[in-house]
Amino acid sequence: MSTDDKSALEHEFDVMLARAGIAVPPDRRAGVMGGCHEMRRFAAVIRREPLPATSEPSNVFSLKPYVRTD
Amino acid sequence: MATTPLHELSIAEAGARLRAGTLTSIALTEHALARIAALDPLLHAFVLVTRERALADAARADHELKSGTDKGPLHGIPYGLKDIYDTAGIRTTCHSKLMADHVPAADAAVEAKLRAGGAVLLGKLATHEFAVGGPSFDLPFPPARNPWNRDHFTGGSSSGSGAAVAAGLLRLALGSDTGGSIRGPAGYCGVVGLKPTYGRVSRRGVFPLSYTLDHCGPLARTVEDAALAMQVIAGHDPLDPASADVAVPDFSAGPDRDLKGLRLALPRKFFAAAEGASPEVVAAMDAAVQALARLGAAIDEIVLPECDLFNACGRVILTAEAFAVHADNLKSRPLDYGRYTYQRLVPGATLTGPDLVQALRLRRALADVINEEVLARHDAIITANALAPATRLDSFSADVSFKMPLQTMPFNVTGNPVLAVPIGFSAGGLPLGMQIVGRAFDEPTCLRIGAAYEAAATWAQQWPKLELAEAI
Repeated sequence: MSTDDKSALEHEFDVMLARAGIAVPPDRRAGVMGGCHEMRRFAAVIRREPLPATSEPSNVFSLKPYVRTD
Repeated sequence: MATTPLHELSIAEAGARLRAGTLTSIALTEHALARIAALDPLLHAFVLVTRERALADAARADHELKSGTDKGPLHGIPYGLKDIYDTAGIRTTCHSKLMADHVPAADAAVEAKLRAGGAVLLGKLATHEFAVGGPSFDLPFPPARNPWNRDHFTGGSSSGSGAAVAAGLLRLALGSDTGGSIRGPAGYCGVVGLKPTYGRVSRRGVFPLSYTLDHCGPLARTVEDAALAMQVIAGHDPLDPASADVAVPDFSAGPDRDLKGLRLALPRKFFAAAEGASPEVVAAMDAAVQALARLGAAIDEIVLPECDLFNACGRVILTAEAFAVHADNLKSRPLDYGRYTYQRLVPGATLTGPDLVQALRLRRALADVINEEVLARHDAIITANALAPATRLDSFSADVSFKMPLQTMPFNVTGNPVLAVPIGFSAGGLPLGMQIVGRAFDEPTCLRIGAAYEAAATWAQQWPKLELAEAI
């Protein structure tokens, strides 16, 4: 990632944090930004896996364990 | 004839002596309190010792057992609680300045079951702040230290639970596990840890980190001790929305000490080919697998989706849910959080709704792989706990990220039960561990495999060498 890309991404994080009402103390900014970059990487990793449109989230109640197969 | 020190008695052995009248709970409790007084200043496993309550509970247990009232396998047995479990009238801090004066009005469901079972509460145990920060030196209490080498990390977040059991301050401690917080400390401290199936043990009254990933369970010296604890704490709780209404089985491993007829899945590349995998961990896992085969288990090498996928899925869910819990305090009291806790919670604000939904969709797909592909054909999965032994406490930089060399998150994502057991030591004398992953609500098979392995190995007989310990 170029310095410009990193700077743009951190600007985006700053906006999202401000929108959430979070004012990061200056001495914690580097650690918070590191965590934000890591979250962005995690979000990219979970999009790597192709899921069909019908793939439901885990918090949708599933009847599968109760469906009779005999 | 040499006498076994009281802290080396298993829960079953101590229980038999209590019922035979050759040991009292008062003696057991006073012994534990003496060890805590001598050793805990070195370990910082406890944030609060409930001495008077413990002695009163022990006296009551002795009276009840003497008069023929038997409340079950933990009656008269000392235990400790990670300090995120509510205890009525007893301070519960979550190891945080934000909760420094918090005294709950009611017990957590697990604590209520332990009290009803006649167990003896010795105190509240160190954790990472809100079960997510740490190891931190900027909190109201210091971090727990690893009894095998006090310069090293205990694992977290059930850090005091792991340290206290490993050092013989307690036979049993309760922890919680959202991404590995029972299994990490169990593995790094060389004790047994059980993350039960999601829904098996009530989370009511335990401070939440991540609603859909949090599990409560025991850390214990042996597999049998963990099984006895499960017999008391498991069961449906209609006041916990995630509690499952399923029958509580007999968790005891029984007399079987062989594994004939069991088919185990070994995802060897999952840990052996992972970045940062220590050759010592791989060698210890290979030896453990050979021991399981000698006990009669059939071993099939399998391939799992990469650990990074499970970790990313779990971290997105955990961080989004944890941010929702803490958002107000992160805005209004930022400096009351320790540095690591703050740095791990705040990035949740940068996740989006679609990020969380995608993680939840992937979660179902990953759970299907584990349950419908692997565990449909195998009785359990065996894999490494951590990729390397515990790191030094001074190796954590101020800007530390989420990276931990653990392989525990996958089974928080899927909710399967996992037993962590010791499988040896590094050249530097630090414990190494293995995970035994079972089908949903099949903790008994995990415990059977763990008990057979434990009986064949000798790790449970080894104790850390601590100054003054021999005198107590």
